[in-house]
Amino acid sequence: MKFPRTSGGFYAWLFQRLTGILLVILLIIHFAITHNLPKGGEVTYALVAPRLATATWKVFDLTFLVCALFHGLNGVWMVVQDYVHSETAQAWIFYALCTLGLVLLVLGAITVIPFKA
Amino acid sequence: MAEYIFRVFRYDPEKDEGTRGRVQEYKIGVERGWTVLDALNYIKWHVDGSLAYRRACRHGICGSCGMTINGKNTIACEQQVADLGTQVVTVEPLRGFRVIKDLIVDMEPFYDKLYAIKPYLIAYSDPPTDKERLQSPEDRKLLDGKYECILCGCCTSSCPTYWADKEFLGPNALMKAARFAVDSRDEGWEERVNAIDDKHGVWRCHTIFNCVEACPKELNATRAIVELRRLMLKGRL
Repeated sequence: MKFPRTSGGFYAWLFQRLTGILLVILLIIHFAITHNLPKGGEVTYALVAPRLATATWKVFDLTFLVCALFHGLNGVWMVVQDYVHSETAQAWIFYALCTLGLVLLVLGAITVIPFKA
Repeated sequence: MAEYIFRVFRYDPEKDEGTRGRVQEYKIGVERGWTVLDALNYIKWHVDGSLAYRRACRHGICGSCGMTINGKNTIACEQQVADLGTQVVTVEPLRGFRVIKDLIVDMEPFYDKLYAIKPYLIAYSDPPTDKERLQSPEDRKLLDGKYECILCGCCTSSCPTYWADKEFLGPNALMKAARFAVDSRDEGWEERVNAIDDKHGVWRCHTIFNCVEACPKELNATRAIVELRRLMLKGRL
């Protein structure tokens, strides 16, 4: 049996771990600030909008978006590699996932970046 | 002596080809202290001589009698019938492998994965002429929990990743790779790394831990895989 050298496994694994850790941290910050946990309270437009318009929060949300998109789609790609055995089908799905990721990234970015309170 | 019903998977390639096999029931008396292998031996010798299964040592060393008993992979010679806690015992061949006959599965794909990682000591330096290649007790200790594998196939057969991707090296081969990776006498990392660092290799494992539960020798293949990844991470960074 031949085992040809292929690439991608290491970085897909590494960035899945790194984005996973980042997502947990970002999620905690998101909940703590947006939902004012542990006290809680009503989340209103007037309360949230000024914060969403700041550059720091835009960077935060974009990082969140990139991590979530990569983590989710890379996870799907790992499952696809398990169950789809045809190389051609894998390639098609890979490009479809990349396109989906890009579209969602652009959608997210045009929502986050130009936002004004 | 207690009465048990053994529901045993049967597949005869001459009669059952194209089918998913069948289940045959045997009602037998089981004596105290019998293992599942003892019960299968009783069935074969006294009830139905056509039943086929592998066995050799009866002492949990040879790894021949790996099978699925009441849904759990283990070796039949180490599984006490009384410990199962049921009067009906289901015995099936190991999952994920092609059934040749009854409880006998084709282990070749399993061995192929093992050969791919070169499961033997590779050393380029000449050994000392007057003694063996020595190892410190500390270095020897690093091999504990990795070298004791008996190649029964219970781990790889329980791995959902292996069920889906038959080219996946599987927990057994990866644990063997980890065993040589941490061996102070071994110099074969470069020869093995291509098979390990592959899309069907160490990165394919999704840490499901089925292999840990299945191993009758209580080895932790998932930990060994994580150790391999750590080594590769250090090597790359």
